[in-house]
Amino acid sequence: MTREEIIAEINAELAEEFEIDEATITPDAPIYQTLELDSLSLVDLIGIVQTKYGVLISKAELPTIKTFAQLYDYIEQHQK
Amino acid sequence: MHDVLIIGSGLGGLECGALLAKRGFRVLVLEGSNQPGGCMQSFRRGRLHYDTGLHYVGGLAPGQVMHQAFAQLGLLDLPWQRMDEDFDHVIIGGRHFAFRQGYEAFAEGLAKDFPHQREALHSYVQRLQNITADDMDICAYDYLRQTFSDELLLNVVSAAAMKTELRRESLPLFNFAHTCSSYIESSWRLKGNGNMLVNKLISIIREAGGEVRTNSKVTRLTEADGRIESAVCADGQTYKAEFYISDIHPAVLCELLEGCPTVRRVFRRRMEAAENTCGMFTAQLSIKPGALRYFAHNVFVYDKPNVWTMTEENTPVKGVMISARVPEDSSDDLRQIDLLTPMPWHECKAWAETRVGRRGEDYNAFCRQKTEQCIALAEQYIPGLHDMVEQCYTSTPLTYRDYLGNPEGGAFGMRKDCRKSMLTFHSVGSPLQNLFLTGQSIILPGIEGVTMTAFETCSKITRDNAI
Repeated sequence: MTREEIIAEINAELAEEFEIDEATITPDAPIYQTLELDSLSLVDLIGIVQTKYGVLISKAELPTIKTFAQLYDYIEQHQK
Repeated sequence: MHDVLIIGSGLGGLECGALLAKRGFRVLVLEGSNQPGGCMQSFRRGRLHYDTGLHYVGGLAPGQVMHQAFAQLGLLDLPWQRMDEDFDHVIIGGRHFAFRQGYEAFAEGLAKDFPHQREALHSYVQRLQNITADDMDICAYDYLRQTFSDELLLNVVSAAAMKTELRRESLPLFNFAHTCSSYIESSWRLKGNGNMLVNKLISIIREAGGEVRTNSKVTRLTEADGRIESAVCADGQTYKAEFYISDIHPAVLCELLEGCPTVRRVFRRRMEAAENTCGMFTAQLSIKPGALRYFAHNVFVYDKPNVWTMTEENTPVKGVMISARVPEDSSDDLRQIDLLTPMPWHECKAWAETRVGRRGEDYNAFCRQKTEQCIALAEQYIPGLHDMVEQCYTSTPLTYRDYLGNPEGGAFGMRKDCRKSMLTFHSVGSPLQNLFLTGQSIILPGIEGVTMTAFETCSKITRDNAI
């Protein structure tokens, strides 16, 4: 899957699941504020990435993902 | 207006109710069925009481894990009876082993049968005493394989963990260890039935001014500004509280939250998609008077060392737990035995659309056959058991589904997976500020797990560490 395909798919999925306007999802947008994540819904983000791409974001690496661009990078690097 | 409204009166719900009522909160517990207690409830047939989920409890001696919790709950003055020093017996492939109470005694006891594994056994009991949240990410089976080179011993130490769902690929060491360790500290049975424990918790709630109502099935929760505003029951009654606790299966809770805008699709889907653990088949036997003497230990019988795989294919029955019930007349005449064996949901599918008492003769024949298989294995420890049986009552995952509302009749709630611990160990919090979760699906199953979860849930409401 190319990076463009990942971006298109994950953006649509996140907008649908977190019930937000997809237009607010841009590469440099802060992921926590945009998705209105708290410690509980952060788990939901991890769940979507794992279900969709088989990529499990580790506890240690979670703090390094702050923007959507960093999320795309992570999925791209770890997808099987 | 109540301070705390609790949906469901299983052990977790009643424990939360008792803890909070004792702290001065006005508690209302709403139970959908006509009998409180969930898996702790017992039922009566003739002159005998039969328990549904209560068999034995670990760690009740002073200084041990459950002592302080039960003391705080007010449950220590129930008639608990300490089990034999050799509290669990294991028979695998005809060979007999015993688990002794006390970590060192446990290791040394098994080292007599496995002298070449003495060091590994001591390492194992050390590990059981040093379990942390990091062990949610460790695979129990992998850990055991690394610790024990003897395959039979690996099976023996796992044999009594029929109290949880043994899955090689997913069971976290955190769960496995909690299932084993408190019983090694000390093991206890209640002289009496599970309703004693249920009634004790209810009386604590009522004495503190709280209420427990049965036949009050909550069908909808309404939201205002990110908080639950009210609980609506099937009979049209509406109740309001400052805080709400759910002691029902999280997927069932999500059905009640339909229409709450703060609960986003993503949360619902995660809860609804979560896998359930396997259920159990139980044959509850009443024994003819004078036929058998009471024994204060459990016995786990397996036809071969397949403890970790038999759940996947347990037809015919390959392993059974024998649990004897403390005679209520203080004699040593054993009148009741439970035989338990794992039963995955796929074995129930033929009757998935049926309800209690209307499952058909083929279901009854299935239960009779399963019972005979359990008895045949149990006869390795109790020769002639078949002819001692006076009456037999059976339950399957279908029974648990229909009486308790557990999807797929899962005996241990939602499945935990060491490969995705963050997704399968749940927070007691929820997307709604004043709604908290408790019960066996959240963190850990079993009496110890549910009790510890109840304390965690209540601490979110009391906002202190006194609970």
